[in-house]
Amino acid sequence: MNLDEALKTFIIESRELLEQMEDALLRIEQAEHDPEIINAIFRAAHTIKGSAGLFGLEYIVAFTHVAESVLDKVRSNELQIESELVALLLTARDHIGALVDHAAQGEEPGEDSHQHSRKLIEQLNIYLGHKHAAPTAVAGTLVEQSHKVEREKGEGVETDNWHISLRFGTDVLRNGMDPLSFIRYLNTFGKTINVVTMVETVPPLSQLDPESCYLGFEISFQTDADKAAIEGAFEFVRDDCQIRIMPPHSKVAEYVDMIRDLPEKEMRLGEILVQCGTLTAVELEQALRRQAQSESSAKRPLGEALLEQKVVSPAVVNAALEKQKQVKDSKTAENSLIRVDADKLDQLINLIGELTIASAGTALVAQRAGISELQEAASTLSRLVEEVRDCALTLRMVQIGATFNRFQRVVRDVSKELGKDIELVISGAETELDKTVVEKIGDPLTHLVRNSMDHGIEPADVRIANGKPAKGTLHLNAFHDSGSIVIEVSDDGGGLKKDKILKKAIERGLVPADASLSDKEIFNLIFEAGFSTADVVSNLSGRGVGMDVVRRNITALRGSIDLDSEEGRGTTIRIRLPLTLAIIDGFLVGVGKSSFVIPLDLVVECIELSDEDRRAANERNYLSLRGQVLPYMRLRDMFDVSGEPVRRENVVVVQYGGTRAGLVVDTLQGEFQTVIKPLGRIFSNVNGIGGSTILGSGEVALILDVPRLVQQVSAQVEKNGLEVA
Amino acid sequence: MSTQDKSQEAGAHFAIEGDLTIYRAAELKELVFSRIDNASAIEIDLSKVAEIDSAGLQLLIAAKLEAMIRDKQLHFVGHSKPVQEVFDLCDLGGFFGDQIVIFPHTVH
Amino acid sequence: MAKTILVVDDSASLRQVVSIALKGAGYDVIEACDGKDALGKLDGSKIHLIISDVNMPNMDGITFVTEAKKKAEYKFTPVIMLTTEAGEDKKQAGQAAGAKAWVVKPFQPAQMLTAVSKLVLP
Repeated sequence: MNLDEALKTFIIESRELLEQMEDALLRIEQAEHDPEIINAIFRAAHTIKGSAGLFGLEYIVAFTHVAESVLDKVRSNELQIESELVALLLTARDHIGALVDHAAQGEEPGEDSHQHSRKLIEQLNIYLGHKHAAPTAVAGTLVEQSHKVEREKGEGVETDNWHISLRFGTDVLRNGMDPLSFIRYLNTFGKTINVVTMVETVPPLSQLDPESCYLGFEISFQTDADKAAIEGAFEFVRDDCQIRIMPPHSKVAEYVDMIRDLPEKEMRLGEILVQCGTLTAVELEQALRRQAQSESSAKRPLGEALLEQKVVSPAVVNAALEKQKQVKDSKTAENSLIRVDADKLDQLINLIGELTIASAGTALVAQRAGISELQEAASTLSRLVEEVRDCALTLRMVQIGATFNRFQRVVRDVSKELGKDIELVISGAETELDKTVVEKIGDPLTHLVRNSMDHGIEPADVRIANGKPAKGTLHLNAFHDSGSIVIEVSDDGGGLKKDKILKKAIERGLVPADASLSDKEIFNLIFEAGFSTADVVSNLSGRGVGMDVVRRNITALRGSIDLDSEEGRGTTIRIRLPLTLAIIDGFLVGVGKSSFVIPLDLVVECIELSDEDRRAANERNYLSLRGQVLPYMRLRDMFDVSGEPVRRENVVVVQYGGTRAGLVVDTLQGEFQTVIKPLGRIFSNVNGIGGSTILGSGEVALILDVPRLVQQVSAQVEKNGLEVA
Repeated sequence: MSTQDKSQEAGAHFAIEGDLTIYRAAELKELVFSRIDNASAIEIDLSKVAEIDSAGLQLLIAAKLEAMIRDKQLHFVGHSKPVQEVFDLCDLGGFFGDQIVIFPHTVH
Repeated sequence: MAKTILVVDDSASLRQVVSIALKGAGYDVIEACDGKDALGKLDGSKIHLIISDVNMPNMDGITFVTEAKKKAEYKFTPVIMLTTEAGEDKKQAGQAAGAKAWVVKPFQPAQMLTAVSKLVLP
């Protein structure tokens, strides 16, 4: 391939782009952040980088990439363009120009040029808030090795071929993808020995949506390539297809898993595997026997029998298999579950929320009216409504086990990728939580698990040197704790290195150099934006999501995240989440004319503010609770409520995540169930408020964001120390 | 561009010409279905199919299944080279059960 | 009959290299320098694959693909989008527009050939 001509074009084009970039940079300060100009600057860097890569000009790619990243932040308004940055970008632009000149002369840049690159990258990185690390190559060799290990383990099936099982998603054809092209592609680096087309998944013509895809294939494939290469063939359809790739000599048990997960009838799949030459009849028998023994009761209904009988050629399956099948069929448990549309459930919960408010209103009116019979009726009603509510909420509760189990696969795959031997231990799988929470917890959890495997658990040699078992353990645990669910991700790895974290945090300007922080505070620095502790960014937890994003996701669910770590022993990350997002049991308090709701699960006790504490309030920032120190905060001061405090103030003692604090209020108005209404956007910056609700009387009450308040109170104490009089 | 037709008493013989792809899947579905609906034995000539993709293949499978469950005879004849290639790739010759004649390719 | 690929990118050198690589592998190539130009080249003749950059002047890649997919002749044409690793939000917009395949810039000509041959062999 003669690229000389193209290289010339590249040089000319790059110089033009650099000129435009310079123009735009000079104009940008006057132009007051005109997005079109910023985009033009970004595009120039982007285009140069993209084209340089084609010519293998790595030195241009590496440097331009950093400049591009900074520009991307400007473009997305994460960075404000100011004169200092413009000056730096101009220097960077000049340097790209110099690098392009090197390329034009066909020579590698010299050491001084590299040095200049490094210096500029360092400066640019300050804006990125992280150290730039070159993305490391995919660990292809590791994958290879792990296959060898697998092959040695024995108990595998006989065939030397890979087995690929494909079920294409409905929209594949509409998206312009042609399943046949992927199979053809397989033949460019191997040979499809047998292809079985899953004709039974295709409906008859009258029911066919001709633009939907119904195709599936079972393929036995011969190649010297590794699993990553085979997976790569399907990279463009990976998201909406079911793909399984089994290496040669996979264990029978793995085929059992595969058969169980696929939608077709087990027998038919078994036959196909025999037909493909992937399993021998004996192996199939073994697989089916295991399948029958396994306790999984989620059997799929038999269907399309008529069709299948006509389609499937009489199989070469012996009598023994027939018998197994009969045994299995009789075992198929009757299904007592019904499926309900999640939207319907949401609607129900919503209505029950309104009902809860209405019932609270009725109770209030009854109380005011002073008719005892009415009060009694209202209280019966409230109790029933509460039961209905609890009941409805449990409808949405699902066990976290299914989510946890998904990680078996993740851990297996990732440990192969990393070349580490890691075992996943799951406990508390039966712990229940709201479905919406479960759905949203998957991504942050995946990140944490990968992070633990990547950075937490040490390579086997290091572990052995430290006197630990070579096999690392990752533990997923869940339990209920005072109205929250706690999910723990722990590893027995190297733990976090305090001094290293602190040093980096200071480097990045996250904390002042002279800060004295508790261990916990230091550990929690890794959740700060732009913090990455790994020296080498691997392809797993490298670019993209950081721990700060994980924390943001958790906070968005009204949850919190913290971390314990012991150097050399391991790390535990604890996520605390509310059981449901819709309704809370609240404790109503009054300050002046305002009402506030404190989530009841977080209330420990209520006490009267003693005269002694009241007098001491000006001298110290804590109360004495039975001789114990209790930091506190006046809601009156916090929310600027007008009017004089009442003569006898009360303290509500709240606890969140192991820390207690006192909230001083005027009156205690008792328990109260409520539906959380989100606050409007204008309140999003109000500190300490998590939502609002309507009282039975029609008044609005604000729901306190207790975790935030507790944090604030204890931060104050840590900052000022306990001012002991 | 699409089809040629030669009706017989109890059966139908027609050809699909040009592309048998996603772009024409909807149109061809209607056509093939109406033929299956109106005849007890159908023969579809594929000798002039220039291009076939997954949507086309799926259509042929669905047509065969439709005929099977309605106890009708459906045969494909004169498989063009692209059709043969796809049938081979997916090992579907057995399923369709038609005789595939490998024509010597005419050199012009 | 050779398969035809439309390559859309504002970088002339990128188009040139990709074009050389694709032609060398046996594809026919049509080039366009931005979305608008590309749209003008969709004249109803058969195109088996579109390779398009996202960030381009005049008309960006996502708008182009959205417009192209509105034409009956290109409704199902597979699209490879060229992107940088930073463009996760763009990727989602592109997915919605119907571009399911992505190749990250910078890439080597051989990587592009591999990606193309997964979708369309010459």
